[in-house]
Amino acid sequence: MTVLEQTIGQEDRVAEKIRRVRELYADAPEVGQAALAAGLENLKRELAASTQRQSAGRIGARQGKVSELTSIVPLEPGGGQRIRGLLDLLEGNFRGADLVGTLHDMRFVLLDDDTKLLFATAYDGEWDAYIDDFVTKIPNSMDILFCNCAGWPGIRSPVIKDWLLSHQITADAWYVASPNLTVAETKRLEKVGAALDEFLDKIG
Amino acid sequence: MSLDEATESDAAARAPMLDLGDIQATVLRLRPAPYYGSHVLLRVDNPQAGRALLARLVPHVDSAANWWDPAAAWLSVGLTYEGLEAVGVPQDSLASFPEAFRVGMAARAPQLRDVGVNDPENWEPIYGKGQIHVGLSAFSDTEEKWARVMDVARSAYEGLSRVDVLAVQPFGAQPGDRNSLGYKDGIDQPPIEGSGVGPLPGQGRPIKAGEFVLGYPGEAGAPLPMPQPDVLGRNGAFVGFRKYQSLVGAFNRFLRANAATEEERELLAAKLVGRWRSGAPLALAPETDDPALGADPRRNNDFAYQDDPRGLRIPLGAHIRRMNPRDTPLSRLTDVNLHRLIRRGTTYGLPYDPDAVSEADDEAPRGAIFLFISAKAMATMEFLQQEWINDGDFIGAGSERDPIIGRQEPGATFTIPRTPVRRRIHGIETFNVLRGGEYLFMPSLSALNWLANLTG
Repeated sequence: MTVLEQTIGQEDRVAEKIRRVRELYADAPEVGQAALAAGLENLKRELAASTQRQSAGRIGARQGKVSELTSIVPLEPGGGQRIRGLLDLLEGNFRGADLVGTLHDMRFVLLDDDTKLLFATAYDGEWDAYIDDFVTKIPNSMDILFCNCAGWPGIRSPVIKDWLLSHQITADAWYVASPNLTVAETKRLEKVGAALDEFLDKIG
Repeated sequence: MSLDEATESDAAARAPMLDLGDIQATVLRLRPAPYYGSHVLLRVDNPQAGRALLARLVPHVDSAANWWDPAAAWLSVGLTYEGLEAVGVPQDSLASFPEAFRVGMAARAPQLRDVGVNDPENWEPIYGKGQIHVGLSAFSDTEEKWARVMDVARSAYEGLSRVDVLAVQPFGAQPGDRNSLGYKDGIDQPPIEGSGVGPLPGQGRPIKAGEFVLGYPGEAGAPLPMPQPDVLGRNGAFVGFRKYQSLVGAFNRFLRANAATEEERELLAAKLVGRWRSGAPLALAPETDDPALGADPRRNNDFAYQDDPRGLRIPLGAHIRRMNPRDTPLSRLTDVNLHRLIRRGTTYGLPYDPDAVSEADDEAPRGAIFLFISAKAMATMEFLQQEWINDGDFIGAGSERDPIIGRQEPGATFTIPRTPVRRRIHGIETFNVLRGGEYLFMPSLSALNWLANLTG
């Protein structure tokens, strides 16, 4: 394919995308239609860019080295109260997550009168690579928290991966500012930055 | 000195708990030194013929009984998923095998990071197409016994219609027992609880047998999921068969480009692996090679990393430190004992030549075929390929990869910690290219009998 043909193909692709956006917004609220008309030039640049969409394996989305895991799980009767109470007492301390070393963040949200848990996290690599390690290294941390979920088979169960998968919902979109920065790399760069500052302070 | 004399004599630790008489010899028996042998890959196009083949083989497949005795010669057999299908294993039994085994190594290429130059599209044509059904391996300590075992093997697989030989790959016997990049290898094997032999110094505590052989408790307490029926799964193990070609020219060019003298080249070669060519570990011989140390199984693996946290002796990214980080603090929650594999490395082709520097030398057939063995070999290989071989994050080395078996991207680096500042070598290349691979199941002797007596 010549460069000219590629350029024409690309222009066709963007034009088609714009046509579909217009179609989607044909019956949008007036404020949205006006915004689309005014903002179309900016939107074109994103529509023209190459896809950033990747899969994190069997389920979930990924950008670069960072993947997302989102799940909504029904809770045992009384489970919502226990989780809320436990999270409250922990006051944001998650040593287990520090140990795991691949978790960028974790979000716990109780929904529908504490009958469901929304659990969302951003993590490095493959979601199931270290499940076996959890079993021998931090089984209690996992079971204390997740025993409140209806049907939790226990972290030692051979069907644990299937259970986790069955509650996971792939995000419809996933954005990561620094897709190549893992937790380990971020910590390393923090150390390098501090050491460099110390060095510059000494010679400066 | 035999292995038996070399190990701890604590009787309790040595009492075998495994059913050694039912487990195939290759699972536990160490490669002899020197060694001679062949891998034979077969295709079976008729269930009766496949079962006849197994029936002929069974009396000659050796068990792991007394595996610690100095080895003479032995034969082992494994079947791929398609091989199990081909001999008529019932559907519900086939479905009880792990998914990665069922779809095969080539289909798991994304999980194994077998992409680019290692992509199955670039493999030798017999691999990854579902046509390899049975794999035989003959090991022996002399050329003469090798010939005898091969006669036995041939009398089993020859003369059966609908059983075809796809490849016969001889291996072994390099000068000084070195591999195709010039190193003594196969030193650090995982110690297995209840195998009848205590750990060698430095091997660490014995790992639960169920991690390596099906039907026994694993590290988490319970046995790992096992193919059904019981007689088929128990005492069996999975095998990752991987054929690598060593790019000796590229390897030597790298050493020459980054080291001025022969001494410096040898030190650089040792930093890549963590051991000198003799097998002597840099942990115990940091300045110069010590062949006597390398040759001594009681000393050549007797070290830990606690007094070398920065990798000043054995770089954090060195091959042996990646493949068994021992007590190295890792940036990810890891139970090192869950990610070990038994390795039977078999070197084939031309011996290593330190003066081979041309691109033509990269083309010469020369390398290693590995059998990676465990009760969950597929999952462990995927973990290793993703985490410890083709990444560096777990040791704080960013995206650096294993210098020996990693697949390097253009501009890849290898870091050698030093004081006051580290040395970072740019432009490390892929030195071992994957030429093919298959997952096999290495059944117990009773399971081989069961398979040979299937009907239908």
